[in-house]
Amino acid sequence: MPERKNSNQVLQKGKKPLYKNQWFFLLLAEVVLAVITGSINPRFFALSNITNILEQIAVLGILASGMTMLIISGEIDISVGANIGLVSCVIAMMIKNDVSYFWVVLVALILAAFNSLLVGSSSLVFKAPSFITSLGFLSVFRGTAYAITKGVFQTIYGKFEALGLTRLWGILPLGFLIGILIYFLAHFILKYSKLGRHFYAVGSNPAAAYLSGISIFRTKLLAFLINGLMIGMASMILLSRVGAAQPTTGSGLELRAIGAVVIGGTPLSGGKGNILGTFFGVLLMGIISNTLNMLRVNPYFQEVVFGIFIVASLAVSAFSAYAGKGVFKKAIRQSKEG
Amino acid sequence: MSEKERLVELRNIVKIYGEHMVLKSVDFDLHAGEIHCLVGENGAGKSTLIKILSGAVSPESGEIVILGKKMKTLNPRLAIEMGITTVYQDAEIVDSLTVAENIFLGNELNSKMPFKIDKQRQADETQKILENLGIDLDANELAGNLSTAEKQMVQIAKALHRKARVIIMDEPTSSLGLEETRALLTLLKNLKSQGLGIIYISHYLNEVFEIADRITILKDGEKMGTYPLQEVDLNTVVKKMVGRDTALFFQRKKVPIGDVRFYVRNLTKKGIVEDVSFDVRAGEIFGIGGLVGSGRTELVSLIYGALRPDSGEIVMDGKTVVLKSPIDAMKKGICFVSEDRKKYGMFLGRNVVENLVAVKNKLSRRFLLNLSEELRLSTQTVNKLSIAVSDRDQLIEELSGGNQQKVIIGRWLLNTDAALYIFDEPTKGVDIGAREQIYQIMLELVENKKSIIMVSSDMPELLSMSDRIGVMRNGRMTHILQNDGLKEEDLMRLFIGV
Ligand SMILES: Nc1ncnc2c1ncn2[C@@H]1O[C@H](COP(=O)(O)OP(=O)(O)OP(=O)(O)O)[C@@H](O)[C@H]1O
Ligand SMILES: [Mg+2]
Repeated sequence: MPERKNSNQVLQKGKKPLYKNQWFFLLLAEVVLAVITGSINPRFFALSNITNILEQIAVLGILASGMTMLIISGEIDISVGANIGLVSCVIAMMIKNDVSYFWVVLVALILAAFNSLLVGSSSLVFKAPSFITSLGFLSVFRGTAYAITKGVFQTIYGKFEALGLTRLWGILPLGFLIGILIYFLAHFILKYSKLGRHFYAVGSNPAAAYLSGISIFRTKLLAFLINGLMIGMASMILLSRVGAAQPTTGSGLELRAIGAVVIGGTPLSGGKGNILGTFFGVLLMGIISNTLNMLRVNPYFQEVVFGIFIVASLAVSAFSAYAGKGVFKKAIRQSKEG
Repeated sequence: MSEKERLVELRNIVKIYGEHMVLKSVDFDLHAGEIHCLVGENGAGKSTLIKILSGAVSPESGEIVILGKKMKTLNPRLAIEMGITTVYQDAEIVDSLTVAENIFLGNELNSKMPFKIDKQRQADETQKILENLGIDLDANELAGNLSTAEKQMVQIAKALHRKARVIIMDEPTSSLGLEETRALLTLLKNLKSQGLGIIYISHYLNEVFEIADRITILKDGEKMGTYPLQEVDLNTVVKKMVGRDTALFFQRKKVPIGDVRFYVRNLTKKGIVEDVSFDVRAGEIFGIGGLVGSGRTELVSLIYGALRPDSGEIVMDGKTVVLKSPIDAMKKGICFVSEDRKKYGMFLGRNVVENLVAVKNKLSRRFLLNLSEELRLSTQTVNKLSIAVSDRDQLIEELSGGNQQKVIIGRWLLNTDAALYIFDEPTKGVDIGAREQIYQIMLELVENKKSIIMVSSDMPELLSMSDRIGVMRNGRMTHILQNDGLKEEDLMRLFIGV
């Protein structure tokens, strides 16, 4: 039995070896991947390419931050891509019609948040898994985007460029900086705020959270709200960088975001995880994608690689839920009561 | 069967978690036809030892010998094949299947038609097994309709059907009532006489002394000794467990009782709780007793707002309160420690500190957490309840069962502003020493003019702690008794209603 503490001694911090952190493995994988790619194609380490990677992962990073909080609260949203599509189309049309940027930003954030709240509240009110309701709303969002654009490409070349194309000192993309800011914000919420604690609590054991006086409805809805705001933010950066929108804009991003979160050590079952892991998960996605480009892999095949990667990350998450210290965890959990 | 046939032998077992050696070279053995009880404080390593034998945990070093065969590796499946069955509290029984289907799950009897299960024959054989064990159950009953106690019995029946030689039970009676406990102990004696070996862990030493042939005492991961029942008495065992003299029966101090602070009138939830009225005064401990399933937990859930009553009134400090949810109850100063810590208490995957401060944080009005205050309060609680925890990042699922219970109790005790504390089975799985600490804290609460409602299936606890006792039967509070000179037998008679 562990030593009993003297009354004047505070509980000491646990000693967790570095290698027991998920992010450590990801960092290792990233270094290895970079070295291999760099030795095949030295242009990988060129400043312009690194800037490129940072730019590419900005959007994913913002989405993954929101998704981390949502998954920790025990929910999920797979309509993120469709939501981005709808929001980008709407704001692209506004920009085309020279609506002031103030309204564009406001509409982007509010519309994305509203959509996300629809997914969340329908799941909470009807007590259906958010996986299902978001699957339903995926079609609603995409259908709406088709309806309002009539399927026409919305180009905004030359306008609304600042967010996506600005590079501070010529190297640091503004979007990436915003991404970093959001990582910090998410980390702060999860680690230092009551709301973050409640996210973990409702994700870990909703019944216990309820009896501790935590409102499950409110907490989960807030997670959806934050996720929605992130989606709005990401939509703007994406549109600004690409300069055009269509209903399929952003499709598939939800899977990459979920993949990054899960491989970053946040299990889909909720109640666990952190932002640091997500950061490295996103970075890994970015490096893989860049590597495939550098090695001139056929774009269709790139899709396949990402699909496999996401399945693999889910498998890892499922495995680590069972295997630990060479022990069959499920069996232990059953007997843990004793 | 020779008298001394050795079913199981563990030699020099060492288990280390992180930096803590939780089993320090422990020996243990089990003979055919004996009940070997394992006792010790919370966190002594009892569950870990039997998890090693059942293959759920692998030891750092040591030998495991089963039926004379030295096992190089062991996993749960292999252990079951070798005839070692562990009866867990809830796992392994599929609610949507019948008793017979559960027992034959995994090796169903086939009928002549391919892929078709011979349900009739399964049911018949099951009925035979049940009768043989003296279990009064219908083989065609849906497992979902069974009580915890009955599910345990089905698991035992299943084990026998699979030709188990060893049955391991880790605190099986912690959620059973008195009657059910009696029935289980009788069943175990019956199994023993049929030549099975039984390993039995319990914090209820009276049970241990009733059924044990040998007793092994663990303390801080070390074996203090194995004794045949005849060679030890209760006091010796307790002393070896705790390392100091401990009173076996808690003698509580009386506290002056004030005015009525809280009462319920005609509280009803159809089919569950019928027309219950009682009051609780400041400085009073109001005990609620009754059989398992008599509506005790449901009654207190109504008072806490976790269930909504159909009719009736809850009055606190002269004002009628309507509780839509636990949040309302908490705001009114009501606390509720649930009986099922796994389902309603623990935040798995979170550390001890977060688990301890959950309620305290909820009550604060700030958006930000005060991490240093959290640490201070947790340390204080850990010391006060002597919770065995290695460091502040230890996850709650890594604590021993009794220490988990202490964390959940501690969570509510940090809410010092409450007026009414509801404890549902407060000392479930808690060792003798810590039980005393929890009682002491309850007394501190009533000394400070708080009121306590305590639901308990533990008779000595109910009788030693309560000022008055309400008896629940079939959802009704049939009697409210002043607790002086009350006897276990009297209470039991009222519980059953004869
Ligand atoms: N997975 C784990 N990781 C770290 N420590 C653990 C783990 N499981 C158990 N422990 C530690 O091992 C020690 C022994 O635990 P064990 O569950 O065997 O105690 P026990 O004797 O069954 O106690 P109780 O009477 O409370 O059930 C405890 O101090 C506990 O904190
Ligand atoms: Mg135990």
